[in-house]
Amino acid sequence: MENNTKSDVIIETKDVTRIFYMGEVEVKALRGVSLKIKRGEFVAIMGSSGSGKSTFLNQLGLLDIPTSGTVIINSIDTSKMSEKEKGNFRLHNLGYVFQDYALLPELSAIENVCLPLMMQGKSKEEYQRAASAVLISVGLEDRLDQFPSKMSGGQQQRVSIARALAHKPRVLFADEPCANLDSLASKQILELFRKFNKEEDQTIVMVTHEEWHMEYVDRVIRLKDGVLES
Amino acid sequence: MIILEKGKVSFFLASRSIIRGNKGITTFTILVMTLIFLQIVLFSSILGGVTVQFNKLMVDYQTGNLVIEPVENEKYIEDTSSLQKKIEGLPEIIGSSARLRSSGVISHQGKEVGTVIYGIDPGDESQVTHLESAMLSGEFISCPDRGEIILGREVSGGYGALMESKSLGGVEVGNTVNVKIEGVNREFRVKGIYSTLYSNTDSSAYINKADMEEILGVKNRANEIAVKTTSDISEEDARMKLLSLGIKEEIRTWHEFAGMLKTIESTLTMLRNAFSAIGLLIAFVIIFVVIYVNIVNKKRQIGVQKAIGIDQKVIVTSFVIQAVLYAFIGITLGYLIMHYIISPYTIVHPLQIAVGPISLILENFEAFSRAALLFLAAVIGSFIPAYNLSKKSLLELIWGK
Repeated sequence: MENNTKSDVIIETKDVTRIFYMGEVEVKALRGVSLKIKRGEFVAIMGSSGSGKSTFLNQLGLLDIPTSGTVIINSIDTSKMSEKEKGNFRLHNLGYVFQDYALLPELSAIENVCLPLMMQGKSKEEYQRAASAVLISVGLEDRLDQFPSKMSGGQQQRVSIARALAHKPRVLFADEPCANLDSLASKQILELFRKFNKEEDQTIVMVTHEEWHMEYVDRVIRLKDGVLES
Repeated sequence: MIILEKGKVSFFLASRSIIRGNKGITTFTILVMTLIFLQIVLFSSILGGVTVQFNKLMVDYQTGNLVIEPVENEKYIEDTSSLQKKIEGLPEIIGSSARLRSSGVISHQGKEVGTVIYGIDPGDESQVTHLESAMLSGEFISCPDRGEIILGREVSGGYGALMESKSLGGVEVGNTVNVKIEGVNREFRVKGIYSTLYSNTDSSAYINKADMEEILGVKNRANEIAVKTTSDISEEDARMKLLSLGIKEEIRTWHEFAGMLKTIESTLTMLRNAFSAIGLLIAFVIIFVVIYVNIVNKKRQIGVQKAIGIDQKVIVTSFVIQAVLYAFIGITLGYLIMHYIISPYTIVHPLQIAVGPISLILENFEAFSRAALLFLAAVIGSFIPAYNLSKKSLLELIWGK
């Protein structure tokens, strides 16, 4: 399933393990996962519940620290980074779409999208222009000043995608982005991902458990019991 | 990214949270801040009012603004009538009262009380103190009266005396009491009983100066001269004016005269500071709890902010700014309530306490110092929970793992 022949690798993991401790019980969520993801690839990580797919995404997205192994993004070994450096790396290089959208309820759609750009130190004109453009590109041109509570799930997820893409990240991570959406809204979201992947050459790593999502992605990585399925 | 830009993001998050956040929490937090500020300054104002009232009682019923005393090693001020004329020639002087003062024993129906007895010119005394208006029963002594005495309620007993057991146990106007001064026994008719609420004065007695001169065998002398000045001159300036007249006697302002009061004042100040400290500690705990609950409710939001790359310092600062804004609004409201409602109300309708009526005045220095401490409590009370929470792992913040 994995093709290592292409040289333009954006993410590489080497023998990544993640062990959780629940009281005295040791749970091995990942048991040594090694893979490479190419620049511009749209990859789905699939597997049954408890297979370790979300845990693996968190390692790739620097939201968690592996128990052992390394995650290399854009040729940078992230295991050598401090927490502050990781935060800064996430701000400039990575984008996230969460299952429950994770928008800040006190901010309007455009403010949610502006936030990472503001943090990057962009001028007001720059961040407002960029945020408007990306919201328009996800089809929310008439909802820029709307608050999350006034939007449907699909619309909120599109704001979340706009927030994740506004700063043009090297990799977009999406953790079950359609889990809370009906099939129509899910299709719209997946088509958006596909559009950004094709038109902007955006690398996307998405966790999903829906088999029908496979038709939108370039490659499927399957996990079972914390290891790659061969 | 420079600090100013980070500050802008913090302020952006804080202001949006206050304006668009849960209105109930915002209102409650501001209300708590307002009440805490009022609680701190109200208590302080009451104790401050008590101190002012103590001082006022002393000035109004004993010392006047200035007290002239004999030169060192002398018992009396000589030729008091000339001295009084000289003093009263100044436009800033309302009046002066030359007093003979002696300890004595007053007895009635087998009970006796050791006390300080003053010999006064009633007309002069009324120019300096309000004793004449403090009569509970009977009348103030007048110039031609001889053989008459007025007693403080602590001497006479009754009338709500605080130390009834040490009094004469209920002497009434018209009774005759025996007064023994420097071995001389005289009978005096009680002309009046007074209460000033100032304990030194209420534990004293007054007779006509002529009677006292006769007993002591002195003429035109005094142990002290109390001087009342107009309100537009400070005690220190008035003292300088008197000194410029060539008065060689000791001239003290009432501040120097108030040894006991200073002890009470310093005790009250200590109490005031102690209660303020406790108030601030309570404020800190309340602010901490209110902000902590608010922050814990936003645990996941903090996680999301961290995940998308918002600096931990920016997140913490946004919560501190929120708390400071809450404190600013709360303190401002508290100040306005105190300044425009409570203070004016208590000036028109003073609080009645044991030492008399007091008004609650909020001094600006007091308000600012308490406000500064509350701001500090808000900063610490928000920083600790925000910092503790924001340093947790993303897994714990976002997914509670």
